[in-house]
Amino acid sequence: MEASPSSDRDLVLRVRGIAKTFPGTRALDGVSLDMRRGEIHALIGTNGSGKSTLIKILAGIYAPDAGGEIAVNGTPLGPGALTPAKAKEVGLHFVHQVPAVFPMLSVTENIAIGRGFLTGPSGRIRWAEQRARTARILERFHIHGTPDMPAGLLGPADRTLVVIARALQDLDGAHGGVLILDEPTASLPGPEVDRLLDTLRKYADQGQAILYVTHRLDEVLRATQRVTALRDGRNVGTVATAGMDQSKLVSLMLGHAVDRERRQDAYVPTDDPPVLAARSLAGGAVAGASFEVGRHEVLGIAGLIGSGAADVQRLLYGTLPMTSGEVVLDGRPFRPEGPRAAIAAGVAYLPPDRAHEAEFPALSLRANLTAGRMERYFRGQRLRHDAERSDARVLIKRFFIRASSTEQTQSTLSGGNQQKAILARCLRDQPKLLLLDEPTQGVDVHARIEIHKLLREAAQGNTAVLVVSSDFEELASLCDRVVAMVRGRIVGEVKPPSLDSHRLTELAHFAAESA
Amino acid sequence: MTRTTSSAALALLQRYFLLLLFAAVVVGFSIKLPDSFATVLNFRNIVGNQAVLAILSLSAIIPLVGGQFDLSVGSTLGLTSIATASLLSRFSAPLWVAVLAGPALGATIGWLNGLLIARLGLNSLITTLAVATVIVGFISWYTEGVSILTGIPTALTDMGSNLWLGLPRPLYLLGAVALLVWYLLDHTPYGRYLQAVGSNPNAARLVGLDVGRITVLSFVISGSITGFAGVLQVARDGGANPQTGGSIALPVLAVAFLGVTSIHPGRFNVPGTLLAVFFLATTVSGLSLVGVDNWVESAFNGAALLTAVALSTLVGRRRAGA
Repeated sequence: MEASPSSDRDLVLRVRGIAKTFPGTRALDGVSLDMRRGEIHALIGTNGSGKSTLIKILAGIYAPDAGGEIAVNGTPLGPGALTPAKAKEVGLHFVHQVPAVFPMLSVTENIAIGRGFLTGPSGRIRWAEQRARTARILERFHIHGTPDMPAGLLGPADRTLVVIARALQDLDGAHGGVLILDEPTASLPGPEVDRLLDTLRKYADQGQAILYVTHRLDEVLRATQRVTALRDGRNVGTVATAGMDQSKLVSLMLGHAVDRERRQDAYVPTDDPPVLAARSLAGGAVAGASFEVGRHEVLGIAGLIGSGAADVQRLLYGTLPMTSGEVVLDGRPFRPEGPRAAIAAGVAYLPPDRAHEAEFPALSLRANLTAGRMERYFRGQRLRHDAERSDARVLIKRFFIRASSTEQTQSTLSGGNQQKAILARCLRDQPKLLLLDEPTQGVDVHARIEIHKLLREAAQGNTAVLVVSSDFEELASLCDRVVAMVRGRIVGEVKPPSLDSHRLTELAHFAAESA
Repeated sequence: MTRTTSSAALALLQRYFLLLLFAAVVVGFSIKLPDSFATVLNFRNIVGNQAVLAILSLSAIIPLVGGQFDLSVGSTLGLTSIATASLLSRFSAPLWVAVLAGPALGATIGWLNGLLIARLGLNSLITTLAVATVIVGFISWYTEGVSILTGIPTALTDMGSNLWLGLPRPLYLLGAVALLVWYLLDHTPYGRYLQAVGSNPNAARLVGLDVGRITVLSFVISGSITGFAGVLQVARDGGANPQTGGSIALPVLAVAFLGVTSIHPGRFNVPGTLLAVFFLATTVSGLSLVGVDNWVESAFNGAALLTAVALSTLVGRRRAGA
C-alpha cells in the first residue's frame, strides 16, 4: 500500500482491514482503500470478487465484521455506525447503474426531489427561484439541459449527471466527500460514455473524489488516476493507472492462478449437422451475429451488459423480434413468434432474472416443476395429481433438489435449489436446444458445481446448450467453445486449450476498440 | 424436531381457525338464543339468503386466482337479473331463453372486462369499476328506477323458495356451482395455468402460457356464473329490483379474502370461500337477533375484510419465509 502521511489532509476516505462474513462465505477479507481529493479511483474485480459487498458496506446497507476501520474526512466510523442516513450525512454519495430519474418530471423537480423545494411562507414552491437555482446547478455540473424540460428528454449521460447533481448540489463548489459510481456506463452508447467521462474529469479537477466501479477496463485506462482490484474478497493491489495497460489490468484482476475448474476433456465435433445455425442474426442489441451450436456441444457467449449476448437468447426464444437473419434449428428454418412457438420447436430458456421471469414464488415446488405442462396429467376429465407428484419426485431426485417435500413453497427453497428446480423444468422434456442466461447467478458454490454437471449431462444427451454469462470463469469451465460478443457482433472465438477466463476477459473488454 | 412439529401444529390451526371460530359463533348464539337463532327456520333463511352472495363470491375468486380484481360482479348481477325478469315479463320469452340469457349476458360483460384488462393492459380495479358504473347507469335508464315484479313464472320462483329434502333449493344450486368452480380451479390444467398467471405473469408467458387468453377466459367464466346468480336472484325475489347488487362488491371481496386465510391458506379456494360466506352471515344473523342495529352488518363486513386482508398478507409473508 502507498499511504504517505503527507497526503493525510487530502485523504477523504480511509478504509482499513474491512471484512464481511456471510453464513458459509467470506465476502470480504481485510480490504483497505484510500481515496484522495480530486482523484478518480477505479474499483475493478470479477463477479464475486467483493466489489458490491464493499459498496454496500460504504452505503451503510451491510455492517462490516468487527475489527476494521472506515474514516471519512478523518472522522472514524465504527462497525454499525455507518447507516444509509449516516453515509449521506458524511458525504458518501452513490449513483447506480440505472440512474434514479423521474422521466415525466422536469429537470428542476428531479434535482429538488430528495433535497426539498424552496418554499414561501404559505408552503408554496417558489418556482422562479427554484428554476434560477436549477439553471446555476446545470451550469456548474456541465449538464446539457434546461430547468423546465422533462428529465426523460435528457441524453443518457445527462440523466446520470442530473442524479449526481442531486446528490452534490449542496456542496456549492467545495467538493467534499466521495462520489461512488457503480457501473455508470453499462448501458450508455459510446459517445455518451465519452461525455460522461469528460464531465467526471472536470468534477475531479475541482476537487471531487470519485470511486469508479466498472467492468470496462478501457474506461479505467482513459479516466482514472489509480485503480484498486479486488479478487476473492481481498485487495490484490492499488496502483497508479499511468503505468498500466490492458493485459496488466486483466492480470491484476484475475491473478495468475488457473481457473478453479477447467474443462480437460476436449469436445470432439460430430459429423452431424449443427443443431442450431444462425446467420447474420439481428434484433434488439444484436447486430448481425453468425454462429453454430453442434450436437452435444455447450457453446458460450461472453459479453458484458449491453453487448447483445442476452438478446441472442431472447431472439431465439421469440420474446424479441428478429429484424433480419436466418436461423436453422435441427434442419428446419426457425423464426419463433413467441415462447409457445419456441417451446413447440424444442427450445427451452432459463432467464437471467429468476424472481421476475422464471419462478412462481408462492406456488409449490411441484407446481414450479410442472408449470405449463399440465395437459399431460389431464386424463379422464380430471388432473392426475398422483402422477404429477410422482413426476415431481423423480425430477427432485434427478436434479439434486433439496426440499422437504414436493409441496414446499418455491420461495422457501435456497437460491441454488430454486435454480435447480427451474433447470429441471427446462430440461424435463429433453429440449433440442437449451438457452441459459447467467445459469448460476445467486447460487452457492456447491449448487453451481451440481448445475454444471447437470448441464454437461444434458449436452451428452440430446440437448445442445447455448449459455450466456458475464462470469467468464464459469464459461471457461462449462463450455466446449466460447464466442465473445461486443456491440452486437461476434468478435472472436476461443476453444480449449486456450479457453480461459483471461482470454475471454480480454476479448469481451477490449475488442470494443478494434470492432 | 420440535420446531417442525410446532410449525405443523400452527399450520393446522391456521387451516381450521375460521372453522373453529364459525363453530364457536354457532354454539355461542345457539346457547344464548335457543328459540330464535338455533331454529330450522333461521338456518333456512341464512342459507337461502346467502346463496346468491356465495355464488358471486365463488365467481369473483376466479379472476382473483389469476391476479385480477372484478368490482363489476354486483352490477353484473343487477343487470342480468333485470334482463331475465324483463325477458319474462315484458317480452314473454320462454323460460329457458330467460334462464340462459342471464349467464350469456354475464359472459359478454366478462369478455369485455377481460379484453380491456388483458389485451389493452388496463388496471383491473379501475376498469371493472368503470364498467360497473356504466352498467348501473344503463340499468336506471332502462328500468326508470322501477322494479319488475310481474310475469315471473312460478316454475322459476319455486326454485328460489321451495325446499328439496328439507333444504332450500338454492343450496343445491350453490352446491353445483361450488363443485364446478372447485373442479375448474383444482382439477383442470386451466385452473393450474390461472394460478401460474396469478403468481407470476412474466414467468407464465415464458413457460409458454397464453396469459391474455387465460385472463380473458377467467372473466368470461366468472361473468357467466355471475349471470347465473342473477337468474337465481330473480327466482328468490320473484322479480328484479334496479337496486340489486349496488353494494354487494365489497362483501364479495370480504368473503373472497377471508376465504384465503383458511382450508388452503395463502390462496383463493372454494371451501374457504364457502366457510367465509356462512361465517359472516351467521355472525350477522346472530348479532341482529340479539338486537344489535342494522349498521352492524356493514361495519362487521368492513372489519372482516380488513382483518382478512391483513391476515392473508401476513400468512403470505410467513409462507414466503420472509
